[in-house]
Amino acid sequence: MMAECSRRVLVIDDEAHIVQVLSLKLRNAGYEVLTASDGEEGYEIARKSIPDLIITDFQMPYMTGLELCQALAKETATANIPILMLTARGYALDDEDIALGNIRDVLSKPFSPRSIVQLVEQTLGSSGTPREKAA
Amino acid sequence: MKAGKTASLTLLVILVALALVTEALATWVEPLRSAEPWKRIALGAGILAALYAIVLVPLGMAIDRALVSLRGCIEGAAATEQSFSFGAPRWLRPVMRSLSGAVDQFRQREQALRTQLRDIEIRHRVSEAERRQIEAVLHTLRDAVIVTDSFNEVVMANDAAAEALGFDLSAALHKPIDQVISDRKLRQMILDARDSANFNDCRHVEHELCTANEGGDASAIAGRVGSEARSGRFYDVALACIGNHKGEVSGVVTILRDLTRERELSQMKTDFVSKASHELRTPLSSIRAYVEMLVDGEAQDEKSRQEFYRIMHDETERLGRLIDNMLNISRIEAGIVQIDRENVDIKVLAERAINTLEPQAREKSITLHTKLADIALTVEGDADMLYQVLLNLISNSIKYTPEGGRVTISADSDNLTRSVLVSVSDTGLGIPPDSIPKLFDKFYRVENYKRVAKGTGLGLSLCKHIVETVHQGQIGVESKLGMGSRFWFAIPMRYAGSNCTTGVAA
Repeated sequence: MMAECSRRVLVIDDEAHIVQVLSLKLRNAGYEVLTASDGEEGYEIARKSIPDLIITDFQMPYMTGLELCQALAKETATANIPILMLTARGYALDDEDIALGNIRDVLSKPFSPRSIVQLVEQTLGSSGTPREKAA
Repeated sequence: MKAGKTASLTLLVILVALALVTEALATWVEPLRSAEPWKRIALGAGILAALYAIVLVPLGMAIDRALVSLRGCIEGAAATEQSFSFGAPRWLRPVMRSLSGAVDQFRQREQALRTQLRDIEIRHRVSEAERRQIEAVLHTLRDAVIVTDSFNEVVMANDAAAEALGFDLSAALHKPIDQVISDRKLRQMILDARDSANFNDCRHVEHELCTANEGGDASAIAGRVGSEARSGRFYDVALACIGNHKGEVSGVVTILRDLTRERELSQMKTDFVSKASHELRTPLSSIRAYVEMLVDGEAQDEKSRQEFYRIMHDETERLGRLIDNMLNISRIEAGIVQIDRENVDIKVLAERAINTLEPQAREKSITLHTKLADIALTVEGDADMLYQVLLNLISNSIKYTPEGGRVTISADSDNLTRSVLVSVSDTGLGIPPDSIPKLFDKFYRVENYKRVAKGTGLGLSLCKHIVETVHQGQIGVESKLGMGSRFWFAIPMRYAGSNCTTGVAA
C-alpha cells in the first residue's frame, strides 16, 4: 500500500474531526498530509507547497471550496492539481461550476474514508502529478 | 290655401243660393217678374238672412250646447273612471258610445304599458342590485380581475387589477387594453383567448409580470393610463371567454392570482430542508468516518481508540441536539407544542442556569457575574422553555468570550412595560453589524465564528420563538465588534389569554 515516493495530499475542511479522520486515514496509507481549516488558508498552502492532490469541503468560511478550485485553476503552478470535493449538499454544484476548476470528483457527506483513499490512489495513479511533471 | 278655397266655395254656394232664391221668387210672385234685378237680389238676400236667423242660429246654439255637455262628459270621465255616455244628450249617445269604446281601449293599452313599465323598473332594480353585488365581489377579491369586450376594451376591472398592472381604474374603463396593460405577453394572452372562442374551459398560464420597459412596446407606453405595473411578480393567469346569445365571443375575463408569496414560502421550505440536511450530514459524516476507522483498525493504540469513541459520542449528541431544536422550533411554529404555564421566578431559573454552566466558564477562566433584583421576578410561563432560553444565551456568551473574560447576567422588573427584563452581556468577540439582522434566523451562523465554537445555528432562533411566540415577549441584541455583546429578553409579567395551553401559531 505504501506509495514509493511519498505523495502529498492537502485536506481542507472547517470541521476539525473530518480533517483529523482523513489525515489519519491517508497517513496510514502512506501519504504525506497537509491540512487547512478554511478556503483561504488552503489556497495559501496549495500555492506554497504544490500538493499532488487536494481534498476540500465545499462550504467553508472565507472562501468556499468552489472559489478555491477556481482560484487555483487560474494559476499555472496549481492549475493541474487534481481536486476531490466533499459536500454535504451535492445538488448545490452545477456541472458548469465544476468545469471551472480541476475537480475530478464530487463526494457527498457522509463519506467512507476507505473509498476516499481508493479514489486518491486511482486519481494519482491515472495522472502524472504536477511535481513529477516538473521534475 | 285650404281656408281660402273653403271661403270661395262658401261664397259660390251663397251666390248660387241667392240666384236660385231670386229666380224662384221671380217665377212665383208676379210683381217681381217685372221688378228691377237689384230689387230681386235684395229680396232674395233678405229671405236668405231670415232663413238663417230662423233655422241656423238655434241649430248652432243647440250644437254648441251639445259640445259643451260633451266636453263636460269627457272632462268628467277623464277625472273619474265613470262611463262616458253618462249625462250626454240622447242624440249624441251613439257618438259617445264609440268614443267611449275607443277611450276604453286606450285605457286598456295604457294599463298594459303601465304594467310593462313596472316590470321593466323591477327588472332594472334587480339588475342594478346584481351589478352592485358583482362589483362588491370584484372589489373584495384579492385577485386582479379585468373584463374586456369583443373590441378589446376594458369594461370592468377591480382595484387589485389596477394595483397589479399599474393603471388608473376610472380612466381605464372603455379604453383599449393597449393603453391599459403594458405587459405585451398578457395582452397577447387576452387576444388569443378571444380568438380561441373556447367557452368550455378556462385557460391557466403562469406568467411573470414585466413592465413596459422590459416586455412592453413603445405603442403601449404612449397614452397609457396610470403608472408602472408591479414587475417581477409571478401570477397564475386564468382566461375565460364570455359568450352572447348568438354563441359569439362578447368578451374575455382575465383573472391574475399572485403566486409570489406562495413561491417564496416554498423556496423558504426548500432552503430549510437543504440547510437542515446539510447540518445533519455534518455530524453524521464524522460518526460514519470514525466508525469505519475503528472497523478498519486504523486506530493504532487504546488512546486514539478512546478519542474516536469520544468524538463519536460528542457528534451523536450534537446530532441529537440538532434534531431536538429543529423539532421544537417547528412545533412552536406549527402551534402544536404543549406549554405548561405556571408562575415562574426568572431569578430561580437564572441561578439554575448559572450553576449548570459554571464548570464551562471555569474551564475558560471566565467569571460569571450576576446582578439579580432582590424581589421575586415572577412571570406566567413555561419554566422548561424559559430555562432553555437562559441556558442558550449564557452558554453562547461563554462560547464567544475569550479566556479570562466576563459574562454578566442581570434580571430586574421593568415597571414601565410591566415585564421582567433579563440581559446577558459579555466581553467577547462581538457581532459584525451586517450579521445582526440575520442572527435569529434558522441555521444562521456568523461565518467567521464557526471555528470559534460549535453550534447548530438554531439556538437563537429557538430562543426567539420561545420568547416572542410562546410568551409574547421581546428579544434583542446590541453588540460592538471586539467589545462584546448584550443579549436581552423581556417577558410580560401577565398577559391576556393566560389560560390557553397551546402556543400561538407563528
